[in-house]
Order: sequence, then structure tokens, then C-alpha cells
Amino acid sequence: MSHGYLSLHGYLSLSGPVGSSGVAAPHYRGSRYFLMALAAMVLGFFLAMSSAWADGGTGVPNAVPPKGEYEGKNVEQPIEFPHNIHVDVNKINCMYCHTYARRSKVAGIPPTSKCMGCHLVIATDKPRIKKLTEYWEKKEPPRWKKVHDVPDFVHFTHEKHLKRFVFDNEGMSVDRVPEVCAFCHGEVKKMTVAHKVKPLNMGFCARCHEANKGPFDCWKCHK
Amino acid sequence: MSLDNILTNWSRYRKGAEEGGFHEYEHQWGMVVDLNKCIGCNACSVACYAENNLPVVGEKRCGKNQAMNWLRIERYWDEPDLEPYKATPTANVDAWIEGNPPAKKTELKPSMPSSYLPGLLELEGKSFTERVGFDGIKSEFQDFGASFLPMMCQQCHAATCEPVCPVAATYHTPDGLNAQVYNRCIGSRYCSNNCPYRLRYFNFWSYYEDAWPEPLHMQLNPDLSVRDKGVMEKCTFCIQRIRVAKDKAKMEDRKVIDGEFSTACVQTCPTGALVFGDMQDPDSHVSKLWSYHQVERGKTKQSKENKELRGYRILEGLNTDPSVLYLERVREV
Repeated sequence: MSHGYLSLHGYLSLSGPVGSSGVAAPHYRGSRYFLMALAAMVLGFFLAMSSAWADGGTGVPNAVPPKGEYEGKNVEQPIEFPHNIHVDVNKINCMYCHTYARRSKVAGIPPTSKCMGCHLVIATDKPRIKKLTEYWEKKEPPRWKKVHDVPDFVHFTHEKHLKRFVFDNEGMSVDRVPEVCAFCHGEVKKMTVAHKVKPLNMGFCARCHEANKGPFDCWKCHK
Repeated sequence: MSLDNILTNWSRYRKGAEEGGFHEYEHQWGMVVDLNKCIGCNACSVACYAENNLPVVGEKRCGKNQAMNWLRIERYWDEPDLEPYKATPTANVDAWIEGNPPAKKTELKPSMPSSYLPGLLELEGKSFTERVGFDGIKSEFQDFGASFLPMMCQQCHAATCEPVCPVAATYHTPDGLNAQVYNRCIGSRYCSNNCPYRLRYFNFWSYYEDAWPEPLHMQLNPDLSVRDKGVMEKCTFCIQRIRVAKDKAKMEDRKVIDGEFSTACVQTCPTGALVFGDMQDPDSHVSKLWSYHQVERGKTKQSKENKELRGYRILEGLNTDPSVLYLERVREV
């Protein structure tokens, strides 16, 4: 996973005295010093690796991401919305559009007015934007279809999860929120239209709650 | 609750406070019912139906004791006029189930709590309205002398329903509530048989098929599942409201404030007979009422200094340790 690489990078550059002695190695002349420096480098590497693994391989501090893969069907949306252009290329924060994620149960789909806020002027000649403008002029919202749906008997709140993993999480910054979203939604920034890549079943939730010391009471989620 | 927790703490969950039961609670939701204020209007019961997606099962199923009233008002009549109910109710029900209404005319006397009497809805060819005495028709019931007892799940701390569940679908939450997990329930009905209050209700049918014909299904509460046949259900102290209040408090980094939310029945009661709150908070309305009436948790018998105090818990001698305190009705002699 690319996350693992990123975190490793971060830890190496920040790994304090051990790492810096490794960097200082070329200043020493004798082979003994070189060996020592090499040992220090190797040690530093392993320390960094182990701390990266303790994080479960992601850059998100104090978090063990849930494990599980799922092959979701491609959901046909009214407009093939390219998440990759918005998130990966233009670096727009997830919560700019899914603005309710941090204050309610659901993340929410942005109103068309939010899309038009940018697309009145940006990329107006593209076919997808033309389709969007049509909807806008007809005053009709595009009927987006739900991709990540948990059963009706499950109580899930986005806000509390974001509080735990982003806002109350020491060493975590809000602009890195896609890494947290990816826990359950996969790497949406690499997708065009989102599709389900995580199972989102009880085992998936329970394993994560166990690893991250989340609440373990049935009635916390089952309703 | 994880399996580990069940296996490690199983015996602790089953014991009362006297034996050192499991009492490390985040909250202890409790209730007080003032019978002096209760006028038996059934508004709480209706509110419960609306809030908790309870199906209206219809007259026939109601007669077979299948009504899903999580909160029911039991009605009792004053002693002096109480006469034994001549018609045997069970015989009536049997006849009813077979589709033969009782041929023999039964003599009806004012008596008995009606909410518990199956087959009382339609007897002697008279409708319920006729017998109750609206529209100037003479009632079969006494003109006065009724007392009411709202009965909701008592959320016992040493609940009798919990240890008998073969799949741990009913268990004790860290909030001191007696939880029922519908997804786990296999419908063995042991819990219902073991409940001394008879406050657990079983879905014998898919009641939702008839209960909410379109467009009535729009009224369903999305914070709660609609139960299908084969699962047990009961009053949850409106866990969906508790959940929202706790989530909100957590988001604002504070504790749940007393009176910030209440259950549907408490919210609806026109006379304020019901009080709901956290008993771990010594300043909450409920805990003040409990301590004023000198009723303590974890006891099978209360030792009151002042015998005039009205507080009591139903069947507390069974060591169920209920969370609902009733305040006795004061009658004029």
C-alpha cells in the first residue's frame, strides 16, 4: 500500500538521533566507524519500520485501520463524477463537499449549488459539466445512487469517527482526512465514481473497534 | 459486548448488588412513576407506539394476548366492589380462536383489570364502546374506583431474563439497561417466560405487513428497526434517544445533562407522572426522588425511617433490582 511507504518516509525523516547519526555516516573515515554507522542506519530503519507497523501501515497516528477487502459492483451514477480529479489532482478536501460528515451521522451529498459554485466558471466546456449545468438549469438534482449503505439496523455516525481519528487525534491534520476516509471507503481519490471496496459488515466494524479500543456494546451500533 | 466479556463477567452480570454484581456503569438510567399523578389516559402508551415502531396488531390478535404494548396501563378496581369474574376468560379465547364466539351468554360483572383480560373486547355482541359506556349507554364498569399502573420494562439490574437467554441476545449494557439485540435473538422465548412482570413481547407474526399499509409506513421511526416475526422485543427506555443525547454530549465534550432528553412516554405524559434520568448523577430529578423516598438500589427490602413515604418497587422481593420506582397512590378513606 502506498500509505505504508508514506509513513515510512515520514518516520525516517523524523527518527531523531539514530536516524541523524545514519545520515552523518559519510563524515567518518575508518571502516570501523563506517560499520558502526551502517549498524546505526540498519537499526534506525528497523525502528522506523516497527513503529510504522505498529500504526498498521498507515500515516494516520493512533489508528489501526480495519482490514478487509470487498469487490463492489460498479454503480451507475447520473453523472460519472471523477473523484480522482477533485481529490488527487486538485487536492480538494473530502469535507468540502461532504460537509456533513463532521457534524452529523451522514456525510451527505453536496447540493448542485455547491457544484455550480465552481463549475459556473471552471471546465464549463466538458461534457460532464454540461450535463451538470443542464440539471442546474432544469432545477432538478441529479439522482445520485447510494454506494456505501449499511443495513437499516445499524447506527453509524460519521461525526464521532471523524472526531476520534481526525479532530481529537494528536498529530493528525485535517488536510490528511482522505487517509481516514479510506479506512472504510477505500482510496476514493483513485476512483472516478466511488464503488464499494470494503465489506462494511459487522466483522469489519468489530475488528476495527477491537483494535482501536472503540465501544464494544451491542446497543452502541445495533438498533 | 464481546464474547470475552460475556464469558469473564457472566456470573457478575447475574448477581444483584448485594452479592457484588457488575456495577461499573457509565450511566444508570432510571424512572419514577408517580401513581398519584397518573390519570390512566394512555398517552404514554400511544407515544410509545409512535416512537418505537410498535405495530397495532388488531382486535383478534390483541385478544390472544399478542398486543405489542411495550408500555401498558394496567387497570385495577377498588377492593370492596371486586367480584370474581364469572365468565372464564380462557374458555372465551379458545372459542374465539376456533372462530366460534361464545354461544352461552355470560354474566358480566364489573371486575378485574381489563388490560389483562383477553376476550373482553367483544362479548355478548356488544362492542367495546358500548360496554365502556360512551354515548350515554350504561357502563359495566364501576363509575369510580379505578387505579392505574403503567408498566414498562423495569430494566432490572439482576434481570431474570438475561441469564436464561441461550444466545446472549439480552444482556446488560454499561448504561445499566437491559438490552435486547434483535439480530441475535433466535426466538426461544425463555426470557419472556422468566420475566416476572410479563413485559417482554414476542413477534408471533410479521405484524408490520398489516400494521402500516401505505402510506402509513412513512410514519416509521428510522432510528429503530422494524422487527420481524420470531424475535422478542421490549421497552428499551428509548435507547435511540439516549444514543443521540450521548453522541451529542460526546461531540461537545461534556456529560449528558439531566432533562436534556427524555423517553417518549415521559415527554408525552400530560400530568408529569413520569420522570426519567440518570441515577448516577446525584443532582438529577430521579435520584433526588429515589433518595427522598428512601428507596435504594440492590435491596430486596427497603428499610424506611418514614413509613409514610410512598416509594416502592414492584416485586423487589424477587431480587430483580428494578430501575423503576413507583410512588404509591394516596386514597381518601
